[in-house]
Amino acid sequence: MSRSLKIAYATLVYLFLYLPLVVMVVYSFNASRFSMQWKGFTLHWYDTLIHDASLIQAALHSLAIAAVSATVACFIGTVTALAIHRWRFVGRKVIHAVLFVMMMSPDIVIGISLLVLFMTLSLPLGFWTLLMAHVTLCVPFVAITVHGRLQGFDPHVVEAARDLGAGEYEVWRHIVLPMTMPAVLAGWFMSFTLSLDDVIIAFFTTGPTFEVLPLRIYSMVRLGLKPEINALCAAMILITAVAVVTTQGLLKERK
Amino acid sequence: MKKILFSLLLLLLVAGNAWAAKKNLYVYCWSEYIPEAVIAQFTAKTGIKVTLSTYDSNEAMYAKVKMTGQGYDLIVPSTDFVSRMGKEGLLLPLDKKQLTRLGNLSPKLMNQAFDPGNTYSVPYMWGSTAMAVNSADPVAAGVTSLADLWKPEVKGKLLLPNDMRSVIGLGLKRLGRSWNETDPAQIQKACELLRPLMANVRVFDSDSPKQALINNEVSAAILWNGEAYIASGENPKIRYIYPPEGFGLWLDSLCIPKGAKNLAEAHAFIDFLLQPKMAAAISEEMGYSSPNLKAMELLPAEVRANAIVYPDEATLARGEFEVDLGRETERIYEKCWTTLKTGR
Amino acid sequence: MKDSRFFRRVVVTAILAWMVLFAFGPNLLVLLASFGHSRGAAFVEPGLSLHNYLRLLEPAYGRILLSSLWLAGGVTIICLVCGYPFAAILARTRPPWRNWLLLLVVIPFWTNSLVRTYAMIAILNANGIANRLLLAAGLIQAPLPMMYSDGAVLVGLIYALLPFMVLPLYAALERLDQRFVEAARDLGATPVKTFVRIIVPLTMPGIVSGCMLVFLPALGMFYVTDVLGGAKGMLLGNFIRDQFLTSRDWPFGSAASVAMTVVMGFMLLLYWKSNTRLSRREWT
Repeated sequence: MSRSLKIAYATLVYLFLYLPLVVMVVYSFNASRFSMQWKGFTLHWYDTLIHDASLIQAALHSLAIAAVSATVACFIGTVTALAIHRWRFVGRKVIHAVLFVMMMSPDIVIGISLLVLFMTLSLPLGFWTLLMAHVTLCVPFVAITVHGRLQGFDPHVVEAARDLGAGEYEVWRHIVLPMTMPAVLAGWFMSFTLSLDDVIIAFFTTGPTFEVLPLRIYSMVRLGLKPEINALCAAMILITAVAVVTTQGLLKERK
Repeated sequence: MKKILFSLLLLLLVAGNAWAAKKNLYVYCWSEYIPEAVIAQFTAKTGIKVTLSTYDSNEAMYAKVKMTGQGYDLIVPSTDFVSRMGKEGLLLPLDKKQLTRLGNLSPKLMNQAFDPGNTYSVPYMWGSTAMAVNSADPVAAGVTSLADLWKPEVKGKLLLPNDMRSVIGLGLKRLGRSWNETDPAQIQKACELLRPLMANVRVFDSDSPKQALINNEVSAAILWNGEAYIASGENPKIRYIYPPEGFGLWLDSLCIPKGAKNLAEAHAFIDFLLQPKMAAAISEEMGYSSPNLKAMELLPAEVRANAIVYPDEATLARGEFEVDLGRETERIYEKCWTTLKTGR
Repeated sequence: MKDSRFFRRVVVTAILAWMVLFAFGPNLLVLLASFGHSRGAAFVEPGLSLHNYLRLLEPAYGRILLSSLWLAGGVTIICLVCGYPFAAILARTRPPWRNWLLLLVVIPFWTNSLVRTYAMIAILNANGIANRLLLAAGLIQAPLPMMYSDGAVLVGLIYALLPFMVLPLYAALERLDQRFVEAARDLGATPVKTFVRIIVPLTMPGIVSGCMLVFLPALGMFYVTDVLGGAKGMLLGNFIRDQFLTSRDWPFGSAASVAMTVVMGFMLLLYWKSNTRLSRREWT
């Protein structure tokens, strides 16, 4: 592919990805409450959004649970992928199979079966149960992505490190983990997205004290989505993007 | 060290108790179904803190309440779920002594088949599920009854709810039967009658049917009145019709689920919502009909005169509330629904 | 050496314990439920019968399965064809830019899926942006009925799932050793041949993970088909959800979920067996 063709193709894909987003942002300034027709420019929805404390709280809950569960899921998923790739042990095949079954399970099945589990353990529904549920949802996505990258990975590097006296831990810390980093990053992004958007599992596994945004939004359908939600989504994108950019910047500085 | 830790823990416990002693109320309902301003006034007046949780369907709420059996003090189920949850012992009987303003409610909406004597439920909001047509389309302008929906020229212009009972109810009404038919032969007959109608359907949507109407994707629809009210506001050509064959009525009621901890607070909230001033504010904000007769007097004349929100009594007599049918009958409905949906 | 064995044991035990609690346990519950009955008010009455599985054999349910597989398959193939060159472009970009471009891929997905789908309606509907542009350009005389068609569903699903294809492909392509590609070129292979014989086999694991991450969720995503497709017909996702919520027939819903897992597992097993070469590259 020539350079200009590449740029053109990439631009086209980004255009596809961002078009609905642009529409969403534009409608957040639409004066009409229900219509998709343009009825004039307004900042009214941003104003009502600022005063809707419970909606903002739900959004913050969602962001928090997404960030924490993505991080935990990345940790568990990466370790799992490395273990099934690196070692042969009893239950290795079982883990493979279970990961697959978890991927397959419809959200509603995961949600209800986890709720049964939490009720059996008599855990109060809220942040912790939702966190566990979302980690369960995300782990297979991370594990499969990392495992995909590990396959066909040159074993000689590890052997060389071993010969040079590296222990298991050093091998993981200095060779395996850096090699898997791009896949881990991809897994984190996927998990964050999944958790931020999940509604069915969250419905069953969270309690009245920890309401998340998707529940609010899906429940609004009955009376019509408010443009306020568009405003909120636009604001959330801005905030998450800024947060990710600054963390990346900070990490770089530390290096 | 241990002593300090211990006293710290004790302090936390005491503080925690003090915090818990503040009065709380956990309400489980559709989002935006109770206006923020109304809740704020309730909290200001009683000091009870209201925490709202939301669900997006009666079915999901039912599953969660049944499985967890605790955590919520007030729910707002529809008629069929009031009858089902009442029968299954998932609702607590209301203490009528704590509800001083029940007399404000319309007797026509009380003591219905889904909850005789209103043991468990207090009507909150009601409306109809009938027909809307966009008269800008000559084909739809000619649609005046359910039977007209079967006309071949309606093909590709019809919206039906994505809901088993509402669709099969249409067939039953056309046969002149009850919306809550339990005779398997009649249900089967309705199902056969509906099969050709499926070819006319462009969309099944019970979440936001107004959009397809407003966007000119369909020109005839079966939907509930709140949606039609908004759609006709956007496009005056959209008219709401109560079919001569009959139509469905819906009613959402305030109920206290089993396992509720804050009973006094829940009753106080119900009674607060029964005030004419509050009920009028709710009806005005939501565009739905209030069961509160005293509230109607406070509503602007144009809302009271709007037939979409408040149909006259003769029309209302053709409407019928949805009742829970029990497992066996439901299975027959489901079978019909699956064949209707996959048989295309 | 002893130290490393201990490390290994700790890690493996932790993973297994986690899996048993959160994955194996709940899935066992689902399996047990699928043998039960649903007669009374209880969601599941324990039992040991296969009648739920036998019910699945009715032709109506076979149609649901087939149409779901067909749709999910189509989505996966289009995502792969569109996503592969895109992931390759990302992977070949210089490092500081690369991460930003990757970030740009996921940012649209940090909005709510329902809001995004509604935005899609604003683009596709009869008075929508797409139709207005086409009308203004004089390409069409009357608005095209784009909504509530299979095409709209396809676009919606591709939109929702593209990043799940791009991210694993990116992870695999980023690792691709360019020396292999150069070597093939030096030996006189055409670009097409290099791609088919060298690049595809080397990135196969990424392709497989990407396809799995798109195909499996595509089977269960019902709001896209409901909102953009007009909920005509029934797909596996809707069907299973309806069994749990509307019909309250948990045993039947569980049986459908288990059956789906078994069918998919079987298909995947066939794939693995025919590709043992690729999955056997362990380095113990």
